[in-house]
Amino acid sequence: MAAAALSGLALAMGQAPVDREGEGAKADKPARVSFSMLPSNHMLVRAMLNGKGPYRLIFDLGAPITLLSNRAAESSGTVKDDAPRSFLFSMRGEAEVAEMRVGELTAKKLPVVVFDHPALKVLGEILGQPVDGIIGFTFFARYKTTIDYQINEMTFQPVDFEVRDLMRELPDRLAGPKTVRRTVTAPGGLWGIRLGPVEGGVSSPGTPIAEVLGDSPAQAAGLKAGDVLTTIDGRWTTSPGDVYEAAAAVPAGRSVPVGVLRDGQERVIELRPADGA
Amino acid sequence: MIRKLGGVGAALALVLALAAADAPNPNPNPKAKDNGRDAEIGRSTRVPYRLTETNHFLVRVRLNGKGPFNFLVDSGAPALYIATETAAKIGLKASKDDFWTPLKSLEIEGGARLEDLKARVEDPFQLVGMNALGLPGASIDGILGFTILARFRLEIDPTDDRMTWTRLDFKPADPPVPNKEDRDRAPLEFQLMNALGPVAKGLAFIIGKQPAEERSPRGFLGLEWTEPEGGGLEIVRALPDSPAAKAGAKAGDRLAKINGEPVDDAKTARALLAEVRPGDSVGLTVRDKTGAERTLTFPAGEGL
Repeated sequence: MAAAALSGLALAMGQAPVDREGEGAKADKPARVSFSMLPSNHMLVRAMLNGKGPYRLIFDLGAPITLLSNRAAESSGTVKDDAPRSFLFSMRGEAEVAEMRVGELTAKKLPVVVFDHPALKVLGEILGQPVDGIIGFTFFARYKTTIDYQINEMTFQPVDFEVRDLMRELPDRLAGPKTVRRTVTAPGGLWGIRLGPVEGGVSSPGTPIAEVLGDSPAQAAGLKAGDVLTTIDGRWTTSPGDVYEAAAAVPAGRSVPVGVLRDGQERVIELRPADGA
Repeated sequence: MIRKLGGVGAALALVLALAAADAPNPNPNPKAKDNGRDAEIGRSTRVPYRLTETNHFLVRVRLNGKGPFNFLVDSGAPALYIATETAAKIGLKASKDDFWTPLKSLEIEGGARLEDLKARVEDPFQLVGMNALGLPGASIDGILGFTILARFRLEIDPTDDRMTWTRLDFKPADPPVPNKEDRDRAPLEFQLMNALGPVAKGLAFIIGKQPAEERSPRGFLGLEWTEPEGGGLEIVRALPDSPAAKAGAKAGDRLAKINGEPVDDAKTARALLAEVRPGDSVGLTVRDKTGAERTLTFPAGEGL
């Protein structure tokens, strides 16, 4: 468990947004990458870094960053051998891999953090082969990613997504004023209902409807006061906040399935919010 | 200090449990009951998710029918982890003798459902640390790791607000269980990191817990409108007993201004109302068929 011990601190780090120029994969056809499973249940891919390798990297959906060991970073030319190290885990800080190739995919200018993660060291010792790093969010946020554990294959298709720059944001957030951020969630259209208080805590199935207004889309759809809203378009509506969040994703004029609990029976009703407020 | 420690966080969750584990058990027990074999296999569900401020994926789940709870999607974690506080909330008692605690059902928002699972009730540092710092923007109640994720073909597109999870005909083996002695005798490096755990929690006091986000619903008017030919925005109806109806808005009126700002289409109207909260005063300037303008001022109500 201790391996995760510093995860919370990772918050203070993060990486610069990726540069998508020169992506290797074509937009029309996803690039396939096969992986193998380690006995520890981690996905392992073999990657060529700057033409060197292959290196053994763990693919980790839960990792906010991409990480390379000092050995891998040095031998692939990602950092210079004599780059200064910090006292802690020989950390080298941020660097950039000019080109990474995995399976059919080539990624350019991939930001990485270089240090020796103790957990990787131990894992490598147990496996009898080194683990050279972790591929995390800063890599896969560039793509529409699919993972199929049954056939041990991932696919990647480039998307246009700006990776949040934690590095730049966090110092401000840490130092910034501790005022409450206020946001207003606006439904996409007019439904014509008022919500009642939720009862039952974690056992609550949904949010009760206190009132259905006349001539409204909700009335036209057949909703009634006393109905409990359980889902809107597949999203759970366990609190009024959930209802507004879900309704915010439904534009006026689009018909969506609404899950309702009435007299102990679950039913689905189609509702088309009107344009209005 | 924080900045330096930061990179350690690649959430290679729980490797220690494995590192200290007995030799992996390659026997996935072929006789194991194949849950949901019939209907669920091949079924695709659209799973709403949230990307936290720390670039972690959160999805919502119900455990034994209770919830919802926020769980991290983490292929770096070997199993299903439920925080002790979360387990207490749903009355789930951690097994004393067994490493795993049985869980009857796990529902994932969007419709996927798994039954008869094994969960580990524990507080991996990821959860304690992130929750203490209050940074991810939501409390985290557990982790969906390999034994859950591997049952699905996962499709993740950061430009789409939902993932697609398709149930596979595949039941992953449970990860090896660390024996008790090994768990108590962690290597020095891990003991050092364990010692840092409480430090990180303490950091929350130094930097202060990050402020929560206060979310408010948009205020309710009860107006349906349409964009008639020739431009402008026309009131189709004010719902009976709605704030707009009580203030005197009528079908056929043209909406000319909202809070003094000119309105000529629905998009502008929505934008001008986007920050209105229940109780806020709203000024609607309407023009009737004779061309006479009047301004209705009333507090926005609650509803949608």
